Amino acid sequence: MAFFAVFRTAFLLAVLSWRTCQSEVLPERLPLTPESLHISINSTLQHLHLQWTVHKLPYQELQMIFQIEISRFETSKVIWMGNYSTTVKRNQVLQWSWESELPLECATHFVRMKSTVDDARFPELSFSSNWSPWEEVHAHTPEQNTDLIFPRDKLVEEGSNVTFCYNSGINQNISCYLDRELIHGEQLYLNIFTFKLNNVPFIREGGTNIYCAVNYTIKDGTVLFVSKVLEEPKDFSCETQDFKTLSCSWDPGVDTGLFFDGQPSQHYTLFESFSGKKKFCEHNNQCNWEISRDLQETYNFTLTAENYLRKRSVNTIFNLTHRVHPKAPDSIHFNNVGATNATMTWKMPALGNYSTLLCQIELHDKENMRQEHNVSIKVNGEFLFSELMPDTAYMVCIRCANAKHVWKWSKWVTRTLITAEAAPSKALDVWRKVKPEKGLHHVTLFWKPLSKFHANGKILFYNIVAKDLDKKSELKLQSIPAPANGTELTLDQGSYQIQVTANNSVGASPASEIVISGDSGNEEVEEQKINGTKDGFLISWKPLSEDRAGYVVDWCEHQRNLHCELQWKNVGPNTTSTVISSDAFRPGIRYNFRIYELSTEKIAYLVENKIGYTQELAPSDSPQVKAINVTSHSFTLSWKDYDTEAQRGFIQGYRVCLKSKATQCHLDSVAELLPDNSTCCEHAINNPKQKIFLVENLQPESFYEFFVSSFTSAGKSPIGTFTKVTTQDEHSHMLMHIILPMVLCVLLIAVMCYWKSQWVKEKCYPDIPDPYKSSILSLIKSKESPHLRIMNVKDCTPDTIEVVNKSEGTKTQFIGIEKPLTESEFPKPANLYLLPAQDFCVPGPCISFVNHTYSESACDSGSCAHTPVPDTAPPCHLELLASPDNLLNTLEKTHTDSLGEIPAGKISLNYVSQLASPMSGDKDSLLIHSPVPVLCSEYKMQMAVPSCLDSPVLSENGSLSSMTLLGQDKHYH
Amino acid sequence: MPLLLVLHWKYGAGSPLPSVNATCATRHQCHSSVMSQIRNQLAQLNSSANALFILYYTAQGDPFPSNLDKLCAPNVTDFPAFHANGTEKAKLVELYRIIAYLGASLGNITQDQKLLNPNALSLHSKLSATADVMRGVLSNVHCRLCNKYHVAHVDVAYGPDTSGKDVFQKKKLGCQLLGKYKQVIGVVTQSF
Repeated sequence: MAFFAVFRTAFLLAVLSWRTCQSEVLPERLPLTPESLHISINSTLQHLHLQWTVHKLPYQELQMIFQIEISRFETSKVIWMGNYSTTVKRNQVLQWSWESELPLECATHFVRMKSTVDDARFPELSFSSNWSPWEEVHAHTPEQNTDLIFPRDKLVEEGSNVTFCYNSGINQNISCYLDRELIHGEQLYLNIFTFKLNNVPFIREGGTNIYCAVNYTIKDGTVLFVSKVLEEPKDFSCETQDFKTLSCSWDPGVDTGLFFDGQPSQHYTLFESFSGKKKFCEHNNQCNWEISRDLQETYNFTLTAENYLRKRSVNTIFNLTHRVHPKAPDSIHFNNVGATNATMTWKMPALGNYSTLLCQIELHDKENMRQEHNVSIKVNGEFLFSELMPDTAYMVCIRCANAKHVWKWSKWVTRTLITAEAAPSKALDVWRKVKPEKGLHHVTLFWKPLSKFHANGKILFYNIVAKDLDKKSELKLQSIPAPANGTELTLDQGSYQIQVTANNSVGASPASEIVISGDSGNEEVEEQKINGTKDGFLISWKPLSEDRAGYVVDWCEHQRNLHCELQWKNVGPNTTSTVISSDAFRPGIRYNFRIYELSTEKIAYLVENKIGYTQELAPSDSPQVKAINVTSHSFTLSWKDYDTEAQRGFIQGYRVCLKSKATQCHLDSVAELLPDNSTCCEHAINNPKQKIFLVENLQPESFYEFFVSSFTSAGKSPIGTFTKVTTQDEHSHMLMHIILPMVLCVLLIAVMCYWKSQWVKEKCYPDIPDPYKSSILSLIKSKESPHLRIMNVKDCTPDTIEVVNKSEGTKTQFIGIEKPLTESEFPKPANLYLLPAQDFCVPGPCISFVNHTYSESACDSGSCAHTPVPDTAPPCHLELLASPDNLLNTLEKTHTDSLGEIPAGKISLNYVSQLASPMSGDKDSLLIHSPVPVLCSEYKMQMAVPSCLDSPVLSENGSLSSMTLLGQDKHYH
Repeated sequence: MPLLLVLHWKYGAGSPLPSVNATCATRHQCHSSVMSQIRNQLAQLNSSANALFILYYTAQGDPFPSNLDKLCAPNVTDFPAFHANGTEKAKLVELYRIIAYLGASLGNITQDQKLLNPNALSLHSKLSATADVMRGVLSNVHCRLCNKYHVAHVDVAYGPDTSGKDVFQKKKLGCQLLGKYKQVIGVVTQSF
């Protein structure tokens, strides 16, 4: 056989050598030259697809290399040379593609090739064949083609390079644009221009117009579709929930779909290599794969994403039992639920008995997780919860996974477990307030509600039992429905033991005891001030006795409110101080802390009483001050109603601010500048109990303003309105001391005078003066007139009234008044003229008597005097002419009026007086006209005039005919 | 509708069709105001034609809005003729041909634009509304021709088939067609 092979090779070489020599002489093709070269064009992919054969292959197959040349426009313009190496089989049609950068429509292409045997088995065949003839190829273009730009509707990936060509027909100035941006171009061949776009971006799904213009005239355009780059699917995984279906999912990444025919969205296929099955996925992010009944154990999946331009694949291989993702547990129930334990049961769906499951159970209360358990099951699960709290709601969470290989846990399933109630486990914290009244104890009980932890259920009511320790009798007093936190009891003043229990539906709590002794509530201890801080009060005390059960500190939460909201704190027996803090504490509020010591018999004894503020504030209001005891040099200020305990801090004293006209303050005060820039003298009172202040050293009849403010350690109360005070006159009290006795004396004298008025009258001013006692006597004596003498009344005949010249129809002012005026009804005359009326026997001159007691008091001494009747004067007519002119005028006017009523010369009555004795007038001393002594018996009248107005009115004939009494409503004649 | 010419407004229709044989005998009487309705419908088309044109070329992107004279010139060679000074019958026949031509073209344009510009909803709406009115015009014109002029046969032609065209050519042809429509509908409306 070896010999035969060697012989055959030698023969072939000889033949080939002969043919080679012959080819050099004749253009005959060498053997193994590619033949039947056929070229097709794929315009979309811009591929030249070559098909050829190699005839007369000496062996069944040979490893050959094909050298390929591609020319453009002309065969001499070779644009690409390359080799294609392959194993050639006999009668095989060989194929090869070449991708053109330039659109194939832009140019005619030429292709040729030759072959070379490159097979080590046949080194004698290592020679090249002849070139095949050039094959020309043209891209197909439609008839009546008007397209000038290629490629049309080109689809490329984002970031790739694209070359466009423009067939201008003639050499012209061409410019092409992409979205108004000029594209750089170059002339490729005669009328062919190319434009390159490098690293094209994604612009829009609808493609981007590319257009070319010649001299700014658009000739043609095309659309470039740029696709997003297809991404490799991420997070590809498969799992099963029921051993029937594998659910594979992945993240597809960006959608590479384009509008129109640009490119649809990428599609996905799933291929399993062991079974060789393939499935086209309907969704772009998940695919379901049916698990065969024989439960193939291992799967090798390849997920392929594909679009027009690219394919991307990912692979996963796994064991089916390692990809179990159980469904959530269901049919969860709680059985035998007690106060502290419960049993939970559940089922796992659809997994059957293929695998063991591990279930994770968590028990949560409202705050956090309390228990965690792991349970292995097949299908049905059961678990007993213990050490639970009574009457508590728990959240039970459960999830499961494959016990052998935890791929994924199922979803958590949550259920609520509520345990049953139990009797309350702790005694109530009880405290009391005792108020003794009228031999009774009004006891107010307070208790704090049990925490949920100790209540073990809903508290329904509280039982209060009071036991009389003296009488040893028990009395059940009250059952208080919840949610009360206190009650009131009225007990006598004996000792009582009070027990309080909280009750729920199951039972009662341990009893809480407290003892009310006979003297409870009567304790008196002195208040002590303490300083608090914003964090509370530090309270310390001294123990009362050695044998004690503990201490209780109580206080009111809201001190100023009527409702106290009593708070208390229990302190151990060995502790003598504690810090009381509360969010309810507010600055400026006074808190009262009472510390009680509890005896072993549960009797509370008040130890100490402390008051304090967490933070003292300045008083919010100033005292309402009254000014009392105002004198000329002082006054007293009082503000006894000012409640110091209701203030916002401990009142340390007061400031009395006094404003006056004085520029300087007294020594015991200091000048203080007020907000209105005025000043006042401020007196300091540092005793908070002093609520009265004497303001001294003041000026009489002076104006003062004052204001009293209180102060604490935090400051003074605000300044309000000043109160005004005026001091009294300095002498006013003296006047009172003098005037009052004087008034009393005068009154006494007046009374005395009234009592002795008749006597005084008779003595001092009798109705008929005693001439001997009159001053006229001295006057007469001084004149030493021998003709003057005193007429004795006894010598005179009593006066009579005589009617003279009575005329008919005389009218008087007394019309309608029939009663004649009595003597007492006439006003007293200031001057009394006594004229003889009845006896005409005495023809001598008339004597007039002037009562100087009246005239002197009523008249001016200069103008009013005793006027003797002169001889020339009409008889028995005396007048007093001493009135001032104005008065005369007034009289004249009045007289005129009177004349209108009483005509002159018609006098109806004349007063005829007894003429005491003839008297000669003294012309020097009398200012009146002397009456003419015609008829002494015919005296005209006797009249009276008011003091100082008694001016006679003369009639036309010079006689006095009438007179009007001024100030009177009536006229008298 | 005996003359269901509109049934031929299907995508890809482009070659001239023979007239559909039908008789006017089975048709009901036209409403007396059918001419008025035609005028109103033409006025409606005329009033919306420019807006439709603008919406269209705006949606095609650059360079269409800035090169209307080059890309959207009304150079539609096979567009049916219209003689405004003809008789009413002749004008109605020519109107029928025009509306049939436009209706078919609008169908193609609408379908293309829904693929090319799926987000241009206002353009789609306008195209559909215009096609609806054209169908009404065609029905009324046919009714008028049948009832008054007893014309039951009208030969119609459709625009070129654009299904094989590339996207840019589709855009360009659509723009040219709508430009032509805007131009023609004004003349037609004026003549009636």
